[in-house]
Amino acid sequence: MTQTLARRAGTVLTGIALGVTPLAAQQGAGAAPADGWNGAGALSIPVPPAAKLVAITHATILTASHGTITDGTIVIRDGKIAAVGSGVPVPAGAQVIDATGKFVTPGIIDAHSHSSLQGINEMSSSVTSQVRIEDAFREDGLTLYRQLAGGVTAANVLHGSANTIGGQNLTVKMRFGLPVDSMKYDKAPPGIKFALGENVRQTNNPPQPGRPLRYPHTRMGVEELLRDSFTRAREYQQEWKAYDKAKAAWKHGQPEPIPPARDVQLDPLVEVLEGTRLVHAHSYRADEILMLLHVAKDFGFRIASLQHVLEGYKVADEIAAANTGASTFADEWAYKLEAWDAIAFNPSLMAERGVRVTVNSDSDERARRLYQDAAKAMHYGNTSEEEALKMITLNAAWQLGIDKYTGSIDVGKDADIAIFTAHPFSPQARVDMTLVDGRVFFDRRTAPTLEAVLQSLRHTRAAMGGGAE
Amino acid sequence: MNRTFAPLRRVVAAVAFVVPVLLGAQGGTWALTNARVETVTRGVIEKGTIVIRDGLIAAVGADVPIPADARVLDLAGRTVAPGLIDLTSTIGLPGAATAAPVGGRAGGAAGGGAASADRFTGFEADRVIADEVRVSPAEARAAREGGVTAALVAPPRGAVRGLSALVPMKDSAGGADVIKSPVAEHFGFIAGNGFGAGGTNARGDHTPGTIMGVVAYQRQELYDAKRHALLEERWKADPRGLARPEHDPDLDALVPVVLGRMPVFYDAPQENDIRRAARIDKELFLRFTIVGATEGWRALDALEGHPVVVSVNFPAPSTVTGWSYRYAMRHESDDSAAADRAARTLIEGNAEAIHKAGLRFALASGGTNATAFVSNVRKAVAAGLPADVALQAVTIRAAEMAGLGAALGSVEPGKIANLVVTDGGNVLAADAKVRAVFVDGTRYDVVPAAGGRGGSRDGGPPSATANGTFNGDKTP
Repeated sequence: MTQTLARRAGTVLTGIALGVTPLAAQQGAGAAPADGWNGAGALSIPVPPAAKLVAITHATILTASHGTITDGTIVIRDGKIAAVGSGVPVPAGAQVIDATGKFVTPGIIDAHSHSSLQGINEMSSSVTSQVRIEDAFREDGLTLYRQLAGGVTAANVLHGSANTIGGQNLTVKMRFGLPVDSMKYDKAPPGIKFALGENVRQTNNPPQPGRPLRYPHTRMGVEELLRDSFTRAREYQQEWKAYDKAKAAWKHGQPEPIPPARDVQLDPLVEVLEGTRLVHAHSYRADEILMLLHVAKDFGFRIASLQHVLEGYKVADEIAAANTGASTFADEWAYKLEAWDAIAFNPSLMAERGVRVTVNSDSDERARRLYQDAAKAMHYGNTSEEEALKMITLNAAWQLGIDKYTGSIDVGKDADIAIFTAHPFSPQARVDMTLVDGRVFFDRRTAPTLEAVLQSLRHTRAAMGGGAE
Repeated sequence: MNRTFAPLRRVVAAVAFVVPVLLGAQGGTWALTNARVETVTRGVIEKGTIVIRDGLIAAVGADVPIPADARVLDLAGRTVAPGLIDLTSTIGLPGAATAAPVGGRAGGAAGGGAASADRFTGFEADRVIADEVRVSPAEARAAREGGVTAALVAPPRGAVRGLSALVPMKDSAGGADVIKSPVAEHFGFIAGNGFGAGGTNARGDHTPGTIMGVVAYQRQELYDAKRHALLEERWKADPRGLARPEHDPDLDALVPVVLGRMPVFYDAPQENDIRRAARIDKELFLRFTIVGATEGWRALDALEGHPVVVSVNFPAPSTVTGWSYRYAMRHESDDSAAADRAARTLIEGNAEAIHKAGLRFALASGGTNATAFVSNVRKAVAAGLPADVALQAVTIRAAEMAGLGAALGSVEPGKIANLVVTDGGNVLAADAKVRAVFVDGTRYDVVPAAGGRGGSRDGGPPSATANGTFNGDKTP
């Protein structure tokens, strides 16, 4: 059965000819892709092999960095954008994707995701910087494939918001179908989740009867815990610095200095202090946002992004001055007390004050249509088309520290690209094809058959005792 | 004679009391003649003799003289192979029966009894299984019926589980009977009280509540142990002027682990588990043996460089139902018999995939009884694993992974006399029937329970005496 499905998928893939050259002509029936799962056999997901040279032609290109190009060509060499513009010649030997009448955007980056995780919140303590989302991430969440179908090429997979200082994030590229380790985006700097407000206080989520309240239970306590944690981290950092100094000065014959005890909880916080780990902080109210910015300033680090930040419009100037990004919902409000003052103009108002704004999903379902949420910024707040597009591409890349490598259609960047049937902000738009590093990971024409293969895979996983999420 | 028979009589008495159906457990000096001997390491002897003395194999070969004091057992038409070794067992471990299966994730919380759940933290690096294991005669007999002569006993749950023991399948085995202890420190992804199994929002005051929390805890413990090792080394070298290292039995148990002297058996059934374990191994430069690996075929790259104890406890596709199954589906999927068969092919082909990848592996039961173990190994063979490799994987390779390659796992002079005697080919052959096993040179005849498979109750005399030319021991 599964073998048949894979064979069928292979046949369809062989038949791909969006342009001139079949993308996966060498993809034989049931054959595992060159760098796909070893030994996965019939149940490997038939990802077409990467082409060395690809040209997307006759496209309307929304670059997200330098305006719109009509009848444009994108040349992709070894997974990177080699040329972009109208009148760019198509190199000989390139696989051609004819995008006449289609709209091409940078791949969408979801700045806030919890997709495909085996456990999201380590709730046993309010400081869990020692846990890593990487250890909970599963490669087989079907949602990842569905997000590819919505043009998503990268995501900031975050720990939940149960803790003042949550776990370490994982920035992934949606290389769905390859082993889980190859989905990690190596160029992304590490990050960490913080959270403020009701979720941390557990006011909407009280402990079960007989269980003690977890500290902190107030916003005052949250601030104290942050300051306490970073004070500890600073002392720990000093211990190691002193050790490194002593070690460098050590000579044979003297008693050898003994290293301090390694603390896997404080290590990531030292990286935050040193600016090598980005902070993504769940926040709602203006007062707590200001509090966090003050704490960060006092300890000399930067908050890379405020997540949700529903009252961000009240303190947009302060957020912009802190060089902090804001990642918000398009139009969600009043679903809990701290979301009472949320307004749909929030993204636009913050952007007007110079904040780098993104619109995120925080949801497997919404992640598939982030382009519609970005369009709402235009609808509600008269944000420009390019600014709205940045809210799901370039600004997200900036917040994740990967804007040098992806997030816009510029020469030298990774060829992370979505091809739409209509303007992405039009209600008619659908994603036809999604490329990650120049490789086609989603193609609408093969999708139904692939889906069937995936369901078989899912079935196998369940049969083997796995398959949750 | 007396010296030989005194312990023997005790065994006989014990067996006779608990399991009257057994015809006897007989030690001493044996000569097994006219047998087809599958030595595993030195080929097959079509018609050979094995001499057993003092619990060890004294001689093996086609032309081996029979010692004068030996009791001769004519095994014409029968096959002798090394006794099987199961590296995933909870046999003789109090309270283990209610816990999660080894090498597989429990369907729900993996809690043991309610009484023990409160005490159980999931971090018991200093737990010594040899101190608590006690194999009941019934458990031992059930193991021998499948040809299993030794089992590696370790707790089935917990994040750091303790030090395992290799136990012979003798009646009431425990304590001084243990073949080797400790064999390995055992790790896994299930923490205390079943937490860590991967709930979305694992609750409460238990640390850790998630898999990522378990990993963090393990990493911290291992880093602590590394430092502990360093402090102890410095202090032992010259204690003057140094604060003495804190006494910590858990860290003491982990010191050999971080120094690379004690293998870690890491319970990692699914692909993600395997990759997680491999990541920790890489970070801390340990010696992980991956245990379970029922999805090893999906993670061959991550398994590379690790010995693998492959569980053959295959889940049955048709029996996996209920909430989590439906949730996983989310949408209708193909659950036809054909899809089941396709899934089964992959599941049962796991060992062959691991073999083909050139990895070092043993096969283990994954917590089932011995009869199911053997029948599952046959399925792995049917799915493509060469039969001779399968036999190695349940004997010599398993012995090697337990660090006992020189003492167990093959029919060679000098090795422990753990053997399995079968009709109808070697123990893994499709129609094989286990007739007797030798554990530490003691003969145990296998007589299936009434109504059970095979057996000799269909008119023929009991196998125990059918071919034994010596029948001097009185059995009740």
